[in-house]
Amino acid sequence: MSAYGYDAVVIGGGVSGIMASLTLASGGFKTALVSRGDPVCCLSTGCIDVFSHSDEPLSGIRALLPDHPYSLVGEKGIKDALSFFLEIMAEAGLPYEGDPGRNRKILTPIGSTKNTCLVPRTMAHADMPPGEYLHVISFQGIKDFFPSYITSRQRNSTYSVYDAGVPTTLGIAARFDDASFLDAFITWLRGLEIPHDRVALPAVLGTIDPASVMEKISRAIGRKVFEIPTLPPSVPGLRLFRALKRVLQSRGVHLYWGKGVTSVECQGRTVEAVTLATTGRAKRVQGKAFVLATGSFVSGGLFAGRDSVRETVFDLPVAVPGERKDWFNTDFFSGAHGIERAGVRVDGSFRPVETDLDNLFACGSILAECEIMSLQCGHGLAVATGVAAAKSCAQGLS
Amino acid sequence: MTTFEHCVRCTLCVENCPVFKVNPAFPGPKQAGPDAQRFRLDGERSVDDWVKLCCQCQRCQVACPYGVNVSEIILKAQLKYSREHMSPFTAHLFANTYHLGKLGALAAPITNAVTSSGAARKVMGVLGLATNLPMPEYRFLTLNRGRRRKGKRRSSRKVVFFHGCYLGFNRPDIGRGIRDLLAGLGCRVAIPSQTCCGLPALGNSDLEIAKKFARKNARMLVEYIDRGYQVVYACTSCGLTLVHDYPEVLELPEGRKIAENTYNVHEVILDLLENDGCSVEFGEVDRTIAYHIPCHLKALGIGYPAAGVFERIPGLRTTILDDHCCGLAGSYGFKKKNQQTAEKLGTIAASAIKALEPDALISDCGACRMQLGHYTGLPALDPSEVIIASLEKGASKKSRGKRRIP
Repeated sequence: MSAYGYDAVVIGGGVSGIMASLTLASGGFKTALVSRGDPVCCLSTGCIDVFSHSDEPLSGIRALLPDHPYSLVGEKGIKDALSFFLEIMAEAGLPYEGDPGRNRKILTPIGSTKNTCLVPRTMAHADMPPGEYLHVISFQGIKDFFPSYITSRQRNSTYSVYDAGVPTTLGIAARFDDASFLDAFITWLRGLEIPHDRVALPAVLGTIDPASVMEKISRAIGRKVFEIPTLPPSVPGLRLFRALKRVLQSRGVHLYWGKGVTSVECQGRTVEAVTLATTGRAKRVQGKAFVLATGSFVSGGLFAGRDSVRETVFDLPVAVPGERKDWFNTDFFSGAHGIERAGVRVDGSFRPVETDLDNLFACGSILAECEIMSLQCGHGLAVATGVAAAKSCAQGLS
Repeated sequence: MTTFEHCVRCTLCVENCPVFKVNPAFPGPKQAGPDAQRFRLDGERSVDDWVKLCCQCQRCQVACPYGVNVSEIILKAQLKYSREHMSPFTAHLFANTYHLGKLGALAAPITNAVTSSGAARKVMGVLGLATNLPMPEYRFLTLNRGRRRKGKRRSSRKVVFFHGCYLGFNRPDIGRGIRDLLAGLGCRVAIPSQTCCGLPALGNSDLEIAKKFARKNARMLVEYIDRGYQVVYACTSCGLTLVHDYPEVLELPEGRKIAENTYNVHEVILDLLENDGCSVEFGEVDRTIAYHIPCHLKALGIGYPAAGVFERIPGLRTTILDDHCCGLAGSYGFKKKNQQTAEKLGTIAASAIKALEPDALISDCGACRMQLGHYTGLPALDPSEVIIASLEKGASKKSRGKRRIP
């Protein structure tokens, strides 16, 4: 059976691949997204770190070396991509807030704070002015969430515990989708007569419409309420992914989910098709252009052998800093591990360099020099380069 | 396929598990699959009775970016557990849905009257069957009692239709529609006599019965494949059994050949429209539909081919919903011990559908349609029913008297 043909085929279902697909589909191109499984964004806080290394992301980015992928996008490109993201999330019914000019703080489950840029509305009130009092609500038996960690770090805080009847974040979140559970919770919460300024809960306020759940609680007790992201499995990460996927499908992007690319077909300077390891029998997906968004090591876009690093789909040349002894810093938490800079180098149009393929583009954390861990810019880089690579791809198509 | 040692414990499978979400007794696919697998030894009796709570939707396996065969590990653990323990009566009953269907259809009016009667439902309750959902009705005019061959004899596209038990015994009208649809698009269609795909037996941990059914079908299908036929299925669970379980779980020697020659009916239709230059006119269908993706269509990894056909139907507004398991999972939800789980999941999936305020819901899987039709109160259609309605309208518009779709 012959293959189904698309204008563009995006490989990789993470934030960068999804943003690239959305950009292409919005430009009227028939787009397919192939992914060999769910992306790591499902395990993330759900927040968009644009450049959390400094308090002001855009000025921090300005100071980056010119070979960082952000420099290829440019400040205007980054701002536009982030506003596009905010529009998409509003359309998906999972509103996000934030300003690329200034980072904000969220509270972590160990009571520390963390810089980030765009946050789901349920975390908007996490940036507390000094001197305010916090009341943490935890749940009976909940895994990996210990409110005493928070109260020991945040001086003006205390906590209470609610029995949701189930100890897992996913189980509790499913219950918050149910109006009668929410009502019972609110009744209990009102009974506490919390005198403190703000109320924080682990991120379990439902899977469907958490902003409304939060507002309902907030109205009932007359306090500002916010969520604290938890360890994986992460409800806000899952919400982010599912919301993006909903918009993808409403824009007519075809998804091929769960199976990896086993081979690619090239004719001269053109990639023509990829073959997916679908159950039982391979499936060919044809495209006029391809966008590579398979991520770095954790997502399987890059694979590190003993002395070399491989790109796993097209076997593209990978830029690797020095020899293996230069890959890692002996102090793990110092950041700045050389291996973080490994990746695929692209030109100004996001085409991989040192290859002879004209219709291939790359974006996201597979790009060389991105250092998403030490610069804390994973999702922001994914959004910015995903949109930029797709725009370049669209230009190539038309 | 990688094995349990490749699991990095990222919990993406857990995020996708419907049962874990609503039933605290199930520890989730990570623990039930790769985590527990290292403690399961041949010759050591299984103690993990909770492994039977997995409904085998396979969402964990689809989500796993490392290619770990999570649900297959769990399925094999379920089989091991059942080998070592006595199976409940309901397991024997549901392993043999094919025989039940055959008998049920023969005495259709009586069967339907009995299974819907209050007394019978009380007996079912005692026997361990869930009684919240009406039992599916049987039809006397089963699919293999109708026309077994259709379409141009000399067509270059020959397909053998594996319809499965539900279309065979319960909804032969849909099966006949698909037969006529494929013939109308230029295929030579054969509907040979066939047995159950074997999935209900596997789902109820009866490997021997599953193998018996599978061997019989495999012999028949290979004969057709050798004569240049492609196998097509409409029920995505039957399809997944043919392409995945025949070679991988039941280890049939013909399994690989069958897997490589088996297609979803909408893949075939799309291919006819895209590549074979099949010219038909889709008429307007002014409807808003919620397309509930069956878990096993996701597990096939072929995308959502019916959605590709829907895009060609003018006026049809489709929303794809692929985040929820309907909760019935074949015979899973018909068992009393799973009734609560099935009810909760059915309610969750149904509220996602109802939020769209659609005119109807569509799903490729008969079990999803039964469950969600019940919980939404909406008409629950097979994709082919909408496609046929559109083509009939297009054909009558195009030329009076010269209808392309019979």
